[in-house]
Amino acid sequence: MNQNIEIPGLARVEGEGALYVRLKDGAVSEIELNIYEPPRFFEGFLQGRYFQEVPDITARICGICPVAYQMSSVQALEAAMGLSISPQARALRRLLYCAEYIESHALHIYMLQAPDLVGHESAISLAGEAPELVKKALRLKKTGNELLSAIGGRSVHPVNSCVGGFYRWPDRQSIYNLLPDLRWALQASLETVEWAITLDYPQFEQNYEFVALTHPDEYAIYDGEVLSSSGTHINHTAFEKHYLETHVRHSNALHSHSAAGTTYFVGPLARLNLNFAQLRPIAQQAAQKINLQLPLRNPYMGLLARAVELVEVCDLAIELAEAYQPAGESRISFEPRAGEGCGVSEAPRGLLYHRYIVDEHGMVRFARITPPTAQNFAQMEADLWALAPSAIQLPQEEASLAFEHLLRSYDPCISCATHFLKLKIERS
Amino acid sequence: MTSDLVVIGIGQTLRGDDGAGLAAVKTWQQSYPDSARRSNLRVELAELPGIGLLSLLEGAQTAILVDAVRSGALPGTVHLLSEADLSNPLAGSATAHGWGVAETLALGWQLTPRQMPGSIRLVGIEAGDLGMGEMLSPPVAAALNLAANQIEQAICQVMA
Repeated sequence: MNQNIEIPGLARVEGEGALYVRLKDGAVSEIELNIYEPPRFFEGFLQGRYFQEVPDITARICGICPVAYQMSSVQALEAAMGLSISPQARALRRLLYCAEYIESHALHIYMLQAPDLVGHESAISLAGEAPELVKKALRLKKTGNELLSAIGGRSVHPVNSCVGGFYRWPDRQSIYNLLPDLRWALQASLETVEWAITLDYPQFEQNYEFVALTHPDEYAIYDGEVLSSSGTHINHTAFEKHYLETHVRHSNALHSHSAAGTTYFVGPLARLNLNFAQLRPIAQQAAQKINLQLPLRNPYMGLLARAVELVEVCDLAIELAEAYQPAGESRISFEPRAGEGCGVSEAPRGLLYHRYIVDEHGMVRFARITPPTAQNFAQMEADLWALAPSAIQLPQEEASLAFEHLLRSYDPCISCATHFLKLKIERS
Repeated sequence: MTSDLVVIGIGQTLRGDDGAGLAAVKTWQQSYPDSARRSNLRVELAELPGIGLLSLLEGAQTAILVDAVRSGALPGTVHLLSEADLSNPLAGSATAHGWGVAETLALGWQLTPRQMPGSIRLVGIEAGDLGMGEMLSPPVAAALNLAANQIEQAICQVMA
């Protein structure tokens, strides 16, 4: 090649997440967190589409949590059409969700947040020091991706989910074949919990309002009612009355707050704090073995919550995979009808709400998508303000890292984007 | 999955020209159907594989990645890069959520070098418009045939 070329973002578009911290006279005068939020675009993009296209289109919002977008959208559209899926289809959806949790949590715990906590600039440098740890992470992630592929037809963007169930039942043997890997993953996740407690978490406890789905009979992931640590407990159909979105000047994302005007926090910490009693015994025991004291009020300790959840979903996946016996129709036969419905599920990074209005021809007339990162946005900014007085005492580079680590602990979903966060600290 | 060669299209089809890599692989499949159906060749259309790219590379002796790139050249410029060009992970470590191609390759070379293809080439299509939407910009759409030709040439070199 005659000429050097620089390709700073070989993959996706870069620079769509940015943080500005402005100082005046030695104090923080302004903090702006700007994360590009494509779900806003998707709300328009979905209008005029046939309802059955929605699960596959919304799955393409994100390479990491496509199942979450599918599960909230199919439930919303099934509510709009007045459909109740079979217990078998519900069980398979839960298994599909386990696959997403395994791959997403393994990625975040080991490849994204752990390097921050052990002083490595990335998982690549961490792999130099602890190759077995990173290999374990990759194998865990691969196990999740293979389960996703067996059920969803593809390892990244599953295409098998539909309104009314699944286009086809996955082959029983292809699910059973994954059981040895899932059993290994359960052991690896138990080891992950014991390793996670040895990490050095920054001291940063805040008083949060935690919001998560809750379900009387299971650790809520696929569906449930909306519970807040403030005591509010509502049916998910009342979500938009209690949790409001507003535009803020510096971001094209909407910021959420409760009807009382408070910020709130969704995600693994919220789920674990609110629903510990519903965890499967093996996950509860794993948490008790490391003497985990709830509630956890330190966002960096989201890693611990993810590790406990990894045990939960691996154990649940084994049970669901062992019980998988496809029989009967994989989806309900129905004619579309006009209606409105909403659906919620717990994406790995928090509560994901969808609402649709569909006309009598099955065409989408209105779409509302409230992703977890948008809900955490105001809380992230509040945390940045809380961190700022100590962080700005540090040298520039360390201060940038401190802010970045805090944001990364939230596992923000900068969907459809480069997945890069540019940090800029201006001193005046 | 074992194969002599794997061709992997990468991109986000809802981000305009970011879908150029996938479109180029599809164009190549249509323009060179006999080549695309070789028994020792595997084709993957992987929208956003992230770190899962390593699994797609496993078992292949040679990989041809096809992706949208940004280098400052004119939109629609087709670049042909070797693994030496790709070994400097300029994609950086500030990843909030996913993994770029360069970072993923760097991790694979470091952690599991024996599972990596002996040779990796990248056909990169310079992106112009990366706004939301499914359409490619005119210069990028016009470059698909050239990109398909580059994919085919790279295959012929490998298979020769």
